[in-house]
Amino acid sequence: MKKLNKNALRTLLLIGKYARWAVGIALALFLTWRVYQVLFVQQAFTPDTWLRFALSGLILGGMYALIAIGYTLVYGIMFMINFAHGEVMMIGAFCCYFVFEILRFIPAPIAGNPDLVFLNAHPLISIVLAFLVGMTVSGFSGYFLEKIAYRPLRHAPRLILLITAIGASIFLQNAAMLLFGPQRKNIVNPAILDRTAGWTIQLAGKPVLISYTGAFSLILSALLMIGLYILVQKTKLGRSMRAVAQDQDSAALMGVDVNRVVSQTFIISGILAGASGVMWGIHMGLVNHITGSLPGIKAFTAAVLGGVGNIPGAMLGGITLGVIESMGPALFGIDFQLKDVIAFVTLIVVLIIRPSGILGEKLTEEKL
Amino acid sequence: MRKVNLVSGFTSGLVFGIILVFLFLIGFIETGAGLLSKLLGDPVATNTLPKLGYVILFLALMAIWSGSSSAKKQNPERMSQVILPALVNGGVLGLMTALLALIFGNYVKVGVDVRNYLVAVSPASIKMLMLNMSEPTQSALALFALMTIATVLGALLHFVWNRRLADKVDRTVSIKMEAIKLNRIFSFLKHPIARYIALVGALALFVFLPRVWGSYWNYVLGTVGIYILLGIGLNLITGWTGQLVIGYVSFFGIGAYTFALLTAPDPHGIMMNFWLALLIAVAVSALVGFLIGLPILNLRGDYLAIVTLGFAEIVRILLKSDLLTSFTGGPRGIRDIGGPTLFGMDFNSDVNFVYLIFLLVILIAFVANRLQRSRTGRAWEAIREDQTVAKATGINTFSSKLLALTLSAAVAGLAGVLFASRNQFTGPEDHILLVSINVICLMIVGGVGNIPGIIIGALALKGLPEILREVSNFRMLAFGALLVMMMLIRPEGFLPARRPRMKNPTVEDPQEKAEKEA
Repeated sequence: MKKLNKNALRTLLLIGKYARWAVGIALALFLTWRVYQVLFVQQAFTPDTWLRFALSGLILGGMYALIAIGYTLVYGIMFMINFAHGEVMMIGAFCCYFVFEILRFIPAPIAGNPDLVFLNAHPLISIVLAFLVGMTVSGFSGYFLEKIAYRPLRHAPRLILLITAIGASIFLQNAAMLLFGPQRKNIVNPAILDRTAGWTIQLAGKPVLISYTGAFSLILSALLMIGLYILVQKTKLGRSMRAVAQDQDSAALMGVDVNRVVSQTFIISGILAGASGVMWGIHMGLVNHITGSLPGIKAFTAAVLGGVGNIPGAMLGGITLGVIESMGPALFGIDFQLKDVIAFVTLIVVLIIRPSGILGEKLTEEKL
Repeated sequence: MRKVNLVSGFTSGLVFGIILVFLFLIGFIETGAGLLSKLLGDPVATNTLPKLGYVILFLALMAIWSGSSSAKKQNPERMSQVILPALVNGGVLGLMTALLALIFGNYVKVGVDVRNYLVAVSPASIKMLMLNMSEPTQSALALFALMTIATVLGALLHFVWNRRLADKVDRTVSIKMEAIKLNRIFSFLKHPIARYIALVGALALFVFLPRVWGSYWNYVLGTVGIYILLGIGLNLITGWTGQLVIGYVSFFGIGAYTFALLTAPDPHGIMMNFWLALLIAVAVSALVGFLIGLPILNLRGDYLAIVTLGFAEIVRILLKSDLLTSFTGGPRGIRDIGGPTLFGMDFNSDVNFVYLIFLLVILIAFVANRLQRSRTGRAWEAIREDQTVAKATGINTFSSKLLALTLSAAVAGLAGVLFASRNQFTGPEDHILLVSINVICLMIVGGVGNIPGIIIGALALKGLPEILREVSNFRMLAFGALLVMMMLIRPEGFLPARRPRMKNPTVEDPQEKAEKEA
């Protein structure tokens, strides 16, 4: 009787194995058919619409990539999912809001315009100030988060660390709600970064708007990513970070101060999250206490997509996710409400086919 | 002689000052003073502020706590060692409070309403912080004096109390004794007769209580029961098999929705019998768990977590979307879900439903308990400890994990059925990710891998917040903070799982030794 059961189970598993492939192939065929339908039969979207989707995907992807790098850095060193990372980004967005609000009330009259405020009189300084404040505060939040919540648990099981991170995330979210209220706040940009203004290019006879805020955040996220790559690859700090990620104990024996490196990693990831929070504020224009949670989950998805622990992977994953999310619904002919579904389905499919992510290397058992 | 440590006084003052400022900005000082006043038998009417005395008491208690906690760090021998750091501590704390009063007092004086940016800081609460004085400088001075004196008082209290204790026993020993005593409170349950008495008592309580409580408490208790079910279910896959499943709520939602669609009149009008629908819903959840498990259970820990998280989000978004509105009712959810009947008897009253939940909880807990001690359960625990070793000892790790996931999905489906049937309504917002985070948390808080721990955890996490209604605005905040603190202080949970241990005759078990000595 027992033997029979075992055989039955084995057969079932075998069927499951083939069913997986069958389902995969069926899904691929179905998707190809949908894309063919949308692109060549229905022709529901003109090229300018596609360009618009791609642009918004790239902009979103840049922000995801910045947050995803933070996840990846922390995961690479501590093997923990820093669930509170999205909230650090939310803090950055709030900083942007408050800096702009304060500067909006500082008068800076000039001869021709007595009502001019500082925000519009010195827009560049205002923006730089917002980024400085946002990145500093977020960096400090990352530092204190690690120091208070994670450092005492350095050698604890990963489940415990995960719960701590979830707790910290809930705490920060609710603290923001209680402090600033649950309603969404409008962020008033300086006049030169008006969200509706931009360059217009013609594509197939129709105009496509490339907004200043979008271009600005795309360029800035690219610059930050290049800067981070140089930091990790060329500087002493980057070398010690890589060493700690490879093997904490050996790194400590080679004279690397592990605690310090972990702190610095959290500061760097906080700074990047803060920058992307400020960008989010400037580009999207709305902030409240749940601003960070969905981008946080998405960014982690992006990090896994690219291969956790791998910095170029996080960048690639972020951009890919952003583009898939904004082009996917149109491409597959699905309702636009379901863009998050497409993002998560992509993640699941990638993980099933290639569990180490797009650029991830095979990890040894020890790191599992 | 030890050196007087002023830095620790300064740090303590700074930390408590920041906490105080934060509490004021989120409007907790009002609530805290109100709670104090309620505790002392003088409840505050709604929409009025507590009396001045309670505000002073609240602030003073904060300062006393600060003083005593910094005095604890000094481990003092003489009184002079306490006073100086306490003065620094109180000075910093007082300075921050005074600054707070000064800044916001001047805002009120000028007529600026800060509520546009800080929603909780109303002019009335600023006035309260200023101790009902009209002049900011005056109130700042008063606050400074109050906080400094209270801090020094707290430090002195701690010193005197400590000295009294030190006369009796060495402190470290006394702390150990406390810990042993705590263990003993639970260990009296080891005795079989005591255990039966406790069991019968608890049962009698559970039969009796729902009849005398109002329906509100039955609702709370029912929620706790459903969360116990969820906790036991998640414990199968996460606690015993060690596979972290964050998106556990998806199975809960699938169970609830299957049941709702089968019994509600609205989208399809099937109106099936409760028990049949329950079985089908549980089977569907189990099947979904099985199918989901097939491709993903080979993934490593965190990837598994994130895949299930993604799955839960997919389920929720699909339930909400326009695509399935005609099938699942969309964002409005499903109304008028059927309740249970048995032999013509109606279970719809809240008392009967609580009984039903209890019965199912006991049944599932019993099954889970038997499972843990079976061959399967031991295989699960082996997988949790080390997959490679488990494989080497001949366990089919994949099918074991698959079985665990299927069973836990089935339990979640059952909980979903109960949830939907009790509320007679279910919608996409009932199945957000926070539910599964709550379940993970209650499992951790209670003690991973331990069914009594899960019950305690569910009571603590779902029951306590209902009791503390006054602070309902702050409860998620407190929940987050408590989770972090819990993990820092007692990561194994309130009631950690007891591991079966083999006795080594040459080494004495430290715990038993301590118990013997006590």
